Amino acid sequence: MQLLLNALIAGSFAALLASGLALVYGVMGVFNLALGQMALIGGYVCWWCVAVAGLPLPVAIVCSLVVSLILAWISFDLFVQPFQRRHRFLPIVTTIALSMLLDGLILIVFHEEPRSILASGQRLLHIGDAILSVEQLVLICVTILFLSVLVWVLTSTPFGRKVRATVQHPEAATSLGMNGPLLRRSLFILSALCAACGGIYVGIDQNLSPTLGMHLTVKAYAAVIAGGRGSLKGAILFAFIIALLEQLAIGLPWFGVYIPAGYQGTVALLVIVILLLWKPEGVFGSRLRSS
Amino acid sequence: MIGMDLLSVLSYNLLFGRGKILYFGPLAVSMAAGYGVFVTRDWTGSYLLSLPVGLILASGISLVFAWMALRLTDDAIGILSLAVSLGAMAVILNWNSVTGGAMGITRIPRMQGIESLPAFAIASIVIGLGWAWLMLQVDRSRIGRNLKALSEHSEAAASVGISRARTYVIAFLIAGIGVTLSNVLYPQYLGLVYPSDFGFQYLVFFMMCVIAGKPGSVPGVTIATILLALVKEGIRFIDLPISLVGPLRLMIYGLILIIALYVRRKEMFPVQRTV
Repeated sequence: MQLLLNALIAGSFAALLASGLALVYGVMGVFNLALGQMALIGGYVCWWCVAVAGLPLPVAIVCSLVVSLILAWISFDLFVQPFQRRHRFLPIVTTIALSMLLDGLILIVFHEEPRSILASGQRLLHIGDAILSVEQLVLICVTILFLSVLVWVLTSTPFGRKVRATVQHPEAATSLGMNGPLLRRSLFILSALCAACGGIYVGIDQNLSPTLGMHLTVKAYAAVIAGGRGSLKGAILFAFIIALLEQLAIGLPWFGVYIPAGYQGTVALLVIVILLLWKPEGVFGSRLRSS
Repeated sequence: MIGMDLLSVLSYNLLFGRGKILYFGPLAVSMAAGYGVFVTRDWTGSYLLSLPVGLILASGISLVFAWMALRLTDDAIGILSLAVSLGAMAVILNWNSVTGGAMGITRIPRMQGIESLPAFAIASIVIGLGWAWLMLQVDRSRIGRNLKALSEHSEAAASVGISRARTYVIAFLIAGIGVTLSNVLYPQYLGLVYPSDFGFQYLVFFMMCVIAGKPGSVPGVTIATILLALVKEGIRFIDLPISLVGPLRLMIYGLILIIALYVRRKEMFPVQRTV
């Protein structure tokens, strides 16, 4: 039970990151390797607003999202759009450069010490023999609600139909009058905001650390790739599957031996690598429609 | 440092620069080679026995990457080669009894004949420049031409009989050998194998050199590596608090990478030729 709850907590956070990415990757075919750092900036700004500026948490979250929006807007204009026009792989390298810049900035401004947004102790709930804090329960509920709304918007609204049309065939969608550039910018910013929410989630639930960035990015992308190109539901499902694999890897004895906690992330990622070698297009991946 | 950097960067250039393979796995190959050689040397006390072990491990992981490059889409190989590198780092940090964990392997002696620093520096430069010459020959050989053809138009290359599998396997193995040589020398220079020496910023340094020097061009990448290695080492001498030097280096790398990419944006991933 505790393992499942832990997987739900870690999976909700990973799903936040992966859902935004699935949209950006589906529509633009672009990987943003600075996503983990964008998440950290969101978390750190929220921490600064609460711990240093003394603002209430809801105000701090709004401030953090505003900063993340500005950062995403500038990043899109400087690091993605000018390069994406030439080749869709170029932003992968440019966002690596962005990740280095943001890593350096985080280390200079916020230093290496772990930071937690909520300084006071967490209130604990007992569910059977498992323990969950009230904050974690709220975070899980809010994340699941947010992801449900996102899925509903994409499957049942005109905006969602435009996004799905652009995922399935970008040229055909543009020829039908869809504003591709605006859609791409909006989705990039939306994914950065999802990442910022993920950063705030980590800051509330655990500690923010500058070294987390690349791990967050790789794990979220592993979920997106395993889920299949452009499949939002696949990305969310695999975010939870990876979290569950991580918990099962270290929480249960395997042939009588417990795997050390340090291998937690590695086991799940290796399972995803093997899965993709078997099914390279991802589990829910679909091919481009053509006539 | 220049000699050792040339080995790694020119090997990476063969895959990333010439082959246009979105491959971020040299860190994992470096870890396999470095730890393979020096863990075995720790146990046996012999470089003669440990060098083949490092080479076998590096070749093994290079073959896994070659298989991934053949099987997966281009962007998936990028992300998953990073995932494998993170996995390798987790093994190194957690398998304390073998790898020394976060402390690494210390008290590494230099090989016979290159114990003194001047002798070691000359040996590194000679090996580095020798590797540059070898890479130039590979670039002009059938493997280099096949890699270029595959990167420009894989279907057209296949239609004229170029085997993607054979070319990739050979290219990844050659790159693995270069990385092994670099990781045999570098720990001897420092006297230790340290996990932080396999951090993401080293991959960014390789990319920076390849892109700045013109992707695929052996002479260009060689010159860029020499200049950027001087910049890298020069940062050490900036008079700043130690806590600022690391972050500043990251930011300088990021800036150089983005500027180099902006200048080389037409050459990094050329638009596919069509008729």
